[in-house]
Amino acid sequence: MAKFLEYVPGNSLLHQLNPSVKLVCAVLFAIACFVCSNLVFLLVMLALALTLAIGCGFGRETAGLCKAVFAFSLILAVVILLTTPYGVPLITLPWGFIGTGSLLAALTVVVRLMAAAIPLFLVFYATKMSDITNSAVKQLHVPYKYAFTFTSTVHFIPVFMNDMSAIMEAQTARGVEFDTSNFVKKIRLMVPLCVPLLVSSVRKTNSAAIAAEVRGFNLRTRESGHKDYPIGALDVAALLVCVALLVVAILVAVLA
Amino acid sequence: MIEFDNFSFQYREGTEPVLRNISLSIPDGAFVGITGAAGSGKSTLTYAINGIIPHCYPGDFYGAVSVEGYDTVDTSLTDLSRLVGSVCQDIDSQMVSTVVEDEILYGLENFAVPREEIPARVDEALEAMGIADLRERTIDSLSGGQKQKVALASVIALHPRVLVLDEPTAELDPASSVAVFELLARYAREHGTTVIVVEQKIALLSDYADLLVIVDEGQIRFADTPDAVLAHADELLALGVNCPRSTTLMNELAKRGLYAGPTVRNVAQATHALMEVLA
Repeated sequence: MAKFLEYVPGNSLLHQLNPSVKLVCAVLFAIACFVCSNLVFLLVMLALALTLAIGCGFGRETAGLCKAVFAFSLILAVVILLTTPYGVPLITLPWGFIGTGSLLAALTVVVRLMAAAIPLFLVFYATKMSDITNSAVKQLHVPYKYAFTFTSTVHFIPVFMNDMSAIMEAQTARGVEFDTSNFVKKIRLMVPLCVPLLVSSVRKTNSAAIAAEVRGFNLRTRESGHKDYPIGALDVAALLVCVALLVVAILVAVLA
Repeated sequence: MIEFDNFSFQYREGTEPVLRNISLSIPDGAFVGITGAAGSGKSTLTYAINGIIPHCYPGDFYGAVSVEGYDTVDTSLTDLSRLVGSVCQDIDSQMVSTVVEDEILYGLENFAVPREEIPARVDEALEAMGIADLRERTIDSLSGGQKQKVALASVIALHPRVLVLDEPTAELDPASSVAVFELLARYAREHGTTVIVVEQKIALLSDYADLLVIVDEGQIRFADTPDAVLAHADELLALGVNCPRSTTLMNELAKRGLYAGPTVRNVAQATHALMEVLA
């Protein structure tokens, strides 16, 4: 299984799409998920995203991603449950109640976040960083510095995650209980490690900036990219599908 | 030609100079090895060549450093990088791409190498480092040694006049270290490139370098041919630099009056010298 957000070589449908088209499609898909609050529509979108992921061979990566997004969205769901007193009351709270509407709203948030996140993350698993940068610069006219900053940030996420696990392993070897099943205790143990991680991150970022600069980073222009990224029939079809999904999402939202 | 003229440098956040009164001339095409104890100022010496100081790490810069006649203070880092190719110590941070081929393309694209020339340059760099089979591999799937070769290939593809390498074999086993030095030496010979390597493995340096520089507490203690430098084994040891074991053995025999030949740098030379003594 690939590490978090790291490119996986392949020849799937997603691999074949133009990098800019992939990005635009993923953004359109995410917008469609946020425009509409209809749970059935969102479940369809989630099913579509999962089908795409599995169809392109990213089943395991997507399962890992879903777990992470689910954990995050669960926090939001709990907040919504406790602060949105709608529908038939099920549980009474000192400041209101949890109702059927609260449950629906919480479930909607979880499904929406998962459906919106999957295509965005799939873009990174199916596209080389340099292709995303070059294509965004050439076709979307994004200034190179911004495109490079964005892709470098994504590039460094697995690097920093590796650093964090290396620090944790070293601390575990010294008897710190990172293997505890108590989540709160684990988080408390992790907090002091943020400082060494931050120091190492700043150092790595500085080294990367210098390394890029001594290889002519400042000379880069829109025309610098060696590769071309033509837009084919498949790209047009993907764009049309995503635009159609967005239109349907708007219609469902308006009609509701 | 690289010239250090009474060069001293103190980092802005430092309390004392890291390098003091450095004067050194490096001729074109030389293979220079720089070594010394940790914190002696070896890396800073290379930063002065590729312009990282003062352009990236500001501080008090005294004297002058010039590369091919260009003063490193007056010349921008980007212009200097057209002359000097650098490979940093932290290879993982240096990588900007996901795939080997893209990593080599990065510098070529930035320096606006003509499109029709790029494929040949990429092929040449991959072949020179013996990693043509890694072309499509993701950087993350490579070993430390392979990443090191990719970093070197990405720099030599730019055809620099000077190559500056900071501990290029730090993560490599002895066999891979020799292989990297062998590739470097061959490339430098074929292209007339000046190579400056910071390295802890003195045995390796003394086998390949024309000029061996020993740095201690910010000053150059020795700058001569490896044979001449290794003749000062005791002084080197006092500076925290261990000589190759074969050198130490033969120097000890020389002290006891059992050997009177030239300084020995490696096992093959020691074997040959001992055979002659015993004959």
